[in-house]
Amino acid sequence: MPNCLERKKVLLVPLDPVHDIGLKMLRRGIEEAGHQTMLLPPDLPPEEIVSVISRESPDQVLVSRTLGYGVAELLARFVDLTDAAGLRDKTTLVVGGMAIRPELAAELGFDAGFGPGTSVDEVIAYIEGRPFQPDAAKVKKEKAQLTAGYTYEYRHPAIGKLLDKIVDGILEWTEGKTSLGIKRARLRDEAWDVEMWRQGKIDDRFSEAYAALCDPVAEAYYRKGEVHPKTRRQSKEEIARLEDYLTSVEKRMTVRRLQHQERQPRVFIQYGTGCPFMDIAHIKVCEAWGADGVVHFDPSWGARTEGFIGDFLTHQEDGSVITPENLAWIKAALEPSTLWQVRAHRGVNTPETVVLAGKLGADLTKINIAYGALAAGTDPARLTVDGVEAIRMAVKYNLPFDVVTNEELAGVPAHKAFAGMLIVAALARRLGGRPMLQPLFAFSPEVMVSGQMGDNYVDFNAAKIEALRAIIDAPIWPGAPIGFLTQTEDRVQSSMTTALHAALAASLQVDAISIASSDEAYSGGPIVAASRVDTLRAVAEGFRFFGEGRVEPTKQAGPWAREIVEKIEAVLRAVADAPSFPEALYTGLLGSKEEGAYPGRGGRGTVTTE
Amino acid sequence: MAQGVLSQVLDALDLETFLICSSEEEGKEMAIRLMKTLGFHDVDLVFIQFAGPGARVRARAYIYRPGQDYAWVRNVNREGKG
Repeated sequence: MPNCLERKKVLLVPLDPVHDIGLKMLRRGIEEAGHQTMLLPPDLPPEEIVSVISRESPDQVLVSRTLGYGVAELLARFVDLTDAAGLRDKTTLVVGGMAIRPELAAELGFDAGFGPGTSVDEVIAYIEGRPFQPDAAKVKKEKAQLTAGYTYEYRHPAIGKLLDKIVDGILEWTEGKTSLGIKRARLRDEAWDVEMWRQGKIDDRFSEAYAALCDPVAEAYYRKGEVHPKTRRQSKEEIARLEDYLTSVEKRMTVRRLQHQERQPRVFIQYGTGCPFMDIAHIKVCEAWGADGVVHFDPSWGARTEGFIGDFLTHQEDGSVITPENLAWIKAALEPSTLWQVRAHRGVNTPETVVLAGKLGADLTKINIAYGALAAGTDPARLTVDGVEAIRMAVKYNLPFDVVTNEELAGVPAHKAFAGMLIVAALARRLGGRPMLQPLFAFSPEVMVSGQMGDNYVDFNAAKIEALRAIIDAPIWPGAPIGFLTQTEDRVQSSMTTALHAALAASLQVDAISIASSDEAYSGGPIVAASRVDTLRAVAEGFRFFGEGRVEPTKQAGPWAREIVEKIEAVLRAVADAPSFPEALYTGLLGSKEEGAYPGRGGRGTVTTE
Repeated sequence: MAQGVLSQVLDALDLETFLICSSEEEGKEMAIRLMKTLGFHDVDLVFIQFAGPGARVRARAYIYRPGQDYAWVRNVNREGKG
């Protein structure tokens, strides 16, 4: 507490017919800081206030007033009155309130002005004549460790036993099998020197050996320097400009925290405008507005092309091309606290994506054999052998990964999608990996048909989380994104439902969420930065609104959770009895054609023996 | 001046308003016409909802599509003053 010489005498003046709430809040903070305050009632004539100033001789006068018609003149007249009374040089005059800005306060003759969003601490710092230092703990962000503290122990012994049996079968089935994807991953792992590459040194031996493992499109890049026909190379000049832009932005860049009280859930956005420049620009916007992590979304053709090409490439389709150059630039643009996920879950480059992500410094990847084989176009047998290798590479490069269940979007019931997710998680657990469970947290085709969200959007999502927690002690990261299919092209509605899903996620204490942009449902063009800001602001407000309060599911969530667990067990029993895991995928045990899950054709017939 | 500022738009410019009209179709036509009258070419409606007196619209003009030559990268030292 300040001593009597440092203690200030502060007169609080609501120069307003009614409102003095802001000043009452300020009074509490100023008194707690050890200063003396005197709060006048609202609606006093300016002459009477000047008379009080004359009598009390305060060090500071804090005037509160919302700006409206004629108020600027009223405030200016008040300053003139204090001047005429000979008090202007003896006291500091400050004005605060909605629509007040520092430059306006100076124009009206005040010493300082505080607008909306001013904290009590900021005003106290001014009163005490010291620079305002925001609470470092509130703005300092550190990179989150999403898998810390989880044991991955099975809480449901019968399901644990089934999962172990299925994992035994997968490892036995994949033994001795290989693919072009695995060969490229191992070549990239062993022979691609990332430091040499950063120095611009081309390793012809790697290029030659790599080209022999690619399909014609990628091979043409290494042999003839041709890029994919849908892409264009960015020029050296463009790249130099981007470097200048980044340097300039980083000078004024700060990050904010989205979460209010708790640190969960961490919020991820997915980028993939097609252009690494635009991706970087969007990422910087999202970091500034509080995103904790970003997910690299690649074009679907990239998942069907054997092999990666290089160069700084842009195009105008959904998803940004994975090349070492594109990834390295995006990585270089990230703030130190931002988690970076490079997805590797669905295509014929799955294991190599993990290697590339690991070598270029990603924090997370994404692997799911079942989703990638049933709803993302890759052959189940191919993705099973590649998936096992991808998990091994994730372990080697110390990359935790989420196991997404987007097959729910095709109409596959949650229990089948979850059975596939849990099998991959169990496989990871066996191989020493750190999987995260990623249930879809949304209004999905399954519930549209069966009606579990007819009453609200809370119960079935809560049931999913409860079911997973009843089976295994693992981190949970709903997405991707939350609220999907509840969104429309309406900015307000989409931002609001995203925020409500985020608040539900916070209530359920999951580790992370992936959110959409408010114009994610608009299909006429790419997502824009302004819409990303709208959604991030809405999510922050959702966290603020509930704080330590909670969204409560109804009693229906409990029975649904138990039902999901029972059905998962039944599915796993059938998978354990199937001739092989790929056979279970082909025959629809984890999602049938009738449910909208079609075994993928990409890479069919390409599994070979070692 | 306006062109200078527009070059600093990161990707698109959205115009949100309420149009007095008698149907969603009419509202859509008016919104697109409004954007074109303002000089925008790459325009679309992100959102339109008609009820009662008229339509709530959100019209969009893409200033830059991904992969184009962005002036905000070239104008880096202008600090957005356009």
